[in-house]
Amino acid sequence: MSTLCSARAKFKKLQGLLELTDTHLQWTQDGKKAPMLSVPHSDAAALFSSKESSPQVKLRVSVYGDDDGHTFNFTSARPVAVAEREAFKTELTNIISRNRTVREKSVLKPPVSATPIAPVSNGAVARAPLPVSRPSTSRAASVSSDARTPGTPSSDPAHDFRLRKKVLVKTPELAALHRELVMTGQITESEFWEGREHLLLAQAAAETQKKGRPGQLVDPRPQAVEGGEVKIVITPQLVHDIFEEFPVVAKAYDENVPGKLSEAEFWKRYFQSKLFHSHRASIRSTATQHVVKDDAIFDKYLEKPDDQLEPRRQRESNVDLFIDLEATYEDHEETGNEKDFTMQAGKQRGALPLIRKFNEHSERLLKTSMYGSPAKRRRVESADSSDPWNHYAQLDLDDLHDPDTSPGIILDMQDRQRYFEGRAAGASAEEVPRPAVDLRVALQEAKRDLEGWSADLAQLKIERKAGDTALTSMTANVAARLDVNKRKNDIPEDIFRQMRTCQTAANEFLRQFWSSIYPPATDLQTLATPATPQQKAAKATRMVGYLSKTPEKVNAIVIAAHAAGVDRQKVEIGMKPILDAVDKALSFWRTRKPPANRP
Amino acid sequence: MCDLKRTLDATGHCVLEMPSGTGKTVSLLSLIVSYQQFFPTKRKLIYCSRTVPEIEKALAELKRLMAYRVSTAETEEQREKEKNFMGLGLTSRKNLCIHPEVSKEKKGKVVDARCRDLTNAATVNRARENPGSVDVCSFHENLADIEGGQLIPPGVWTLADVLQYGRDHGTCPYFTVRRMMPFVDVVIYSFHYLLDPKVAEQVSKDMSKDSIVVFDEAHNIDNVCLESLSIDLTRPMLDSAARSVNKLADQIDEIKKTDASKLQDEYAKLVEGLQEAAADEDTFMSNPVLPEDLLTEAVPGNIRKAEHFVAFLKRFVEYLKTRMRVLHVVAETPLSFLQHLKDITYIERRPLRFCAERLQSLVRTLELSRLDEYNSLQKVAGFATLVSTYEKGFLLILEPFETENATVPNPIFHFACLDPAIAIKPVFERFSSVVITSGTISPLDMYPKMLQFTPVVQETYAMTLTRNAFLPLVITRGSDQVAISSRFEVRNDPAVVRNFGSILVEYSKIVPDGVVAFFPSYLYMESIVAAWNDMGILNEVWKHKLIFVETPDANETSIALENYRRACDNGRGAVLLSVARGKVSEGIDFDHNYGRAVIMFGVPYQYTENRILKARLEYLRDAYRIRESEFLGFDAIRNAAQCVGRALRGKTDWGLMVFADKHATDGKLQRFARADKRAKLPRWINQYITETAANLSTDMALTVSKLFMRTISQNAGENLTGVSLWTLEDVEKAQSAQRAAEAEEQAKAEAERAAAGGGGDDEMDEDEDEYYGDGGLSDRALAEMEV
Repeated sequence: MSTLCSARAKFKKLQGLLELTDTHLQWTQDGKKAPMLSVPHSDAAALFSSKESSPQVKLRVSVYGDDDGHTFNFTSARPVAVAEREAFKTELTNIISRNRTVREKSVLKPPVSATPIAPVSNGAVARAPLPVSRPSTSRAASVSSDARTPGTPSSDPAHDFRLRKKVLVKTPELAALHRELVMTGQITESEFWEGREHLLLAQAAAETQKKGRPGQLVDPRPQAVEGGEVKIVITPQLVHDIFEEFPVVAKAYDENVPGKLSEAEFWKRYFQSKLFHSHRASIRSTATQHVVKDDAIFDKYLEKPDDQLEPRRQRESNVDLFIDLEATYEDHEETGNEKDFTMQAGKQRGALPLIRKFNEHSERLLKTSMYGSPAKRRRVESADSSDPWNHYAQLDLDDLHDPDTSPGIILDMQDRQRYFEGRAAGASAEEVPRPAVDLRVALQEAKRDLEGWSADLAQLKIERKAGDTALTSMTANVAARLDVNKRKNDIPEDIFRQMRTCQTAANEFLRQFWSSIYPPATDLQTLATPATPQQKAAKATRMVGYLSKTPEKVNAIVIAAHAAGVDRQKVEIGMKPILDAVDKALSFWRTRKPPANRP
Repeated sequence: MCDLKRTLDATGHCVLEMPSGTGKTVSLLSLIVSYQQFFPTKRKLIYCSRTVPEIEKALAELKRLMAYRVSTAETEEQREKEKNFMGLGLTSRKNLCIHPEVSKEKKGKVVDARCRDLTNAATVNRARENPGSVDVCSFHENLADIEGGQLIPPGVWTLADVLQYGRDHGTCPYFTVRRMMPFVDVVIYSFHYLLDPKVAEQVSKDMSKDSIVVFDEAHNIDNVCLESLSIDLTRPMLDSAARSVNKLADQIDEIKKTDASKLQDEYAKLVEGLQEAAADEDTFMSNPVLPEDLLTEAVPGNIRKAEHFVAFLKRFVEYLKTRMRVLHVVAETPLSFLQHLKDITYIERRPLRFCAERLQSLVRTLELSRLDEYNSLQKVAGFATLVSTYEKGFLLILEPFETENATVPNPIFHFACLDPAIAIKPVFERFSSVVITSGTISPLDMYPKMLQFTPVVQETYAMTLTRNAFLPLVITRGSDQVAISSRFEVRNDPAVVRNFGSILVEYSKIVPDGVVAFFPSYLYMESIVAAWNDMGILNEVWKHKLIFVETPDANETSIALENYRRACDNGRGAVLLSVARGKVSEGIDFDHNYGRAVIMFGVPYQYTENRILKARLEYLRDAYRIRESEFLGFDAIRNAAQCVGRALRGKTDWGLMVFADKHATDGKLQRFARADKRAKLPRWINQYITETAANLSTDMALTVSKLFMRTISQNAGENLTGVSLWTLEDVEKAQSAQRAAEAEEQAKAEAERAAAGGGGDDEMDEDEDEYYGDGGLSDRALAEMEV
């Protein structure tokens, strides 16, 4: 995480350091290590600053869901402070404008009543406020189930929260739903995430995955600055890369800095030296060589370009015989005429060091990605003469094997023993009354039944009427579709959005409802303790409450739509499936209302 | 397989084209082995492949085949028979040496020479008489204690196995194989061991006439034939030869003082015209001409005396040196060369013919060591012999400059064979059945025409695939609609270079794992790689994949190749840039994740300004009526097809084949996009090129490729059975259908029917699962229709 800008600033009357990194705006109190306040970029909503003339240099950043925001008081000497603030302002303005466009595009206006969830002070468990209709279960139980939120292996709530937030930021649809339901307190945070653990897991996995090294060659290209000078920006990363790529530079650095040369001097001279030009990944480097002036220090380290046909550095030829090109080369004496000059390798001397560099660079990258593990040379070793059978893997044509049948999933049944015993007993009990079937008779019977089947088939007449109806229904179907296609989509955007919101909300309620009715899927890798039956029942009741309100909402939309001049029917048809689903859930609830012992 | 059987029965030759990656090798082997095992005559199989990796692969397949045959043998007796089956592979000393010091040598020639020093008869005898006086190779010595024919237990030994056996038992793997040659049932080695007279004389002389010869991957066989009779001389070589001649003279003086009788003996022998019968392993250099062209008379008198011969050689080398001073290109026939030689130096043709033989005899008499130092002289002697032996089908070309615009002379004297039929003729004449097979030998009639033989069977087989496992695409325009072409005039045009680059970049973005790109020549690859780098195109590629490039050094390239494979295995993905006729394009498979896409940047035409090629084309036109353009196109396409064919192995494998080149405007060089050119591609590739895929721009090609990859990455259809994979029942059904047809046609097909039964059994036992008819499928289709 790199810091874009930083400044000394007071926050809540405490002295500290304000930093803007590439993901967060954070403030750290003096003497503490962890930032006390950290606001993700995506949460910055607006920016206010004190007047130029005012004695204090202040900057207020408001965040989504909290219009008050955070006020920072820049404490450096005045001109510096103003400059610092300007730096922050430019950066933050960019961020905020980006946020706005993103939000406006995908998300409904955030509900005003929403409680702030964004700014997280370190250590505090950030959680959406508990809903009013929280089930009256024992407090301890609820805490434990909340703390160990589903989906994350670590039970660190802050970490959890971060994950969730990232998921929400990534998927605006989910964020909208979340705002709609959780922030309004209709369902709790953990309920919302129940059944969506996979999203969190995926996020966690994506985060833990280590990013490999980028593949590009280290090739610092100078930027031209006016006045005919060139400029190369040296970052620690670049230095590290250069040292790794060209050990000789590291050696030179070691021997000369800070003894003979200062750090800056070292780099300056390096970039002007022949050494640098020979390191440039460019065929033109050789051409520039006579332009570059000699450098007593660096020229010592200059190597001759590795442009002979054979590489300077001979390496052990311990390659798999299946790809050993040298073996072919040495298989028989070379005969015949020389190849024409286009087919002679290495005619372009200048390109050879470059090509070698590519190969070496790739190899180095490959090695770092393998962490030098012993598995690195596994292929080679296994292909060693001691175990020739491994070569067969390369010869094998896998399509000639039988398609593997999957072993299937073993039915993990409780009391399997007893089940089978019971069945066996039942079967033996049934066995007795079953009349023995005389196969021959049965066969003859079947045969007789089948006699003259062709005649029967010939007599077969398809009822005309049935055919007609089928045809007319098909025609009607096509006509209806055509009709639909023809009609324009004329629901106003506003109504349409309402419909959508209503629909997604109802869906979420349904999901919650059914998941509380049915036993949870056990194979989800979740540490969450399944809610107790009471909790579930309570939840289900709550959901039923919400669900039963759905028709009203739909009605409201229908009326609104009518007012806006939209065909009522259209909206009704649109909302019908969800209403049906709600009805189904409600009727299910009513029928099983007398609480059954086991679902 | 039936066709093959027919060939074997008819003791004739055949040309078979089988798609690559469909189990060509194992099908050939399994039929021939069962044929061998069935008949008591035990015809030997000589299986020639192109490269050492391919030899090793063929050996491994054979080993596995035999393991299977042993496990399924019906009686104990048969099992014993299968177990006694022997298969060995032969390669050079360099590849088979396990001597702790000699094997460290980098150059094959040095290994050969040092090995000879340690193992030749004279040294060995001296060591026996007086142990410790000379160095010998203990691995070689250990072999002497074992009875011939028992050097290694029966079975199939891959090269790696033989090496390991040698290490375990302290015996020399090279001589084990060499001495076991008369006893084995299958021997696998490279083309040169049969075609190059210098090697064949030593190795393949004793092969019986009824042996079955298979040339696998034989699409380049004509080039191997040409190579084996061609020779190049350069000025450094002549200098070194002159030095060697002087050294020889010194040696002769010395030996005259110490042991003059030796030279006398030799002289006497030569007068009598005795062909020396030295142990074949000691021959360091046999005659470079074909056996039938050897003279069986006594060496002419003027070179019988050692000092005379040395003087003769000196004169000849001097003559060649003066020829090299000429600064313009000279092309002449061997006859005119000899005439000129005679006019200037009074060297006659006859003694020249004996040059190689005489040198060999002299070297043996002098018991020279470190023969690799005399290598250049051997070349000169070989040149002398060849030039005086052959008249027709050869040409001498002196090129004073390497390239058109070079100013520093670097003269090369080419002695070029133009007619591939000359070298392969003895093989066709000597062996009764010769099978030539490859994935890409379309058009089929080209090979019989070029090699001058009449095949009994000539067949090309298509590939049955349940799904289109590969997608050939022809890109003719860049996204900017600039036509792309690898023609010499435009190939360095920045627009073309950029378009080629963007193809690479785009494909490296969308293709998983490995991408292999082939260039038409080394020169072009090297310049374009540099240009891409300066244009920043490679930086784009680095973002997605690692880059490996073929280098001039074989070992270096092998290591790059290994790293490339590792990068493909671990998911990092890599691009391999190599050359269509180069080292990598031959014998290295890029199956599965090693090559999800093969990109050909341009058609791999040969460099048409090459004088040898021009001469060859002229010869082909005059002698065999093969038009220049026809041959060039054929040659380019076989190489291109070979490159793209490397990517496919097995029917579940898939890959993209991208040909990037537009059709040229001039009629001489036609490019991929031309329909008539495509017709030259092997049938198995051609049948999948659609009209739309034959003329695409880069962005269109990308869309098509993405779509293809999405569909192909779906689960491979389980229902391969019955379409491309036959169960035993299917085979029987097909056979009975075939039989019925045959019975109607003629009654004499009896022999074939038996064969079909015999051959089929071994092959089609891969799966025993039930055969589902299409009934189930149509039901489902019906159900879907209702919806």
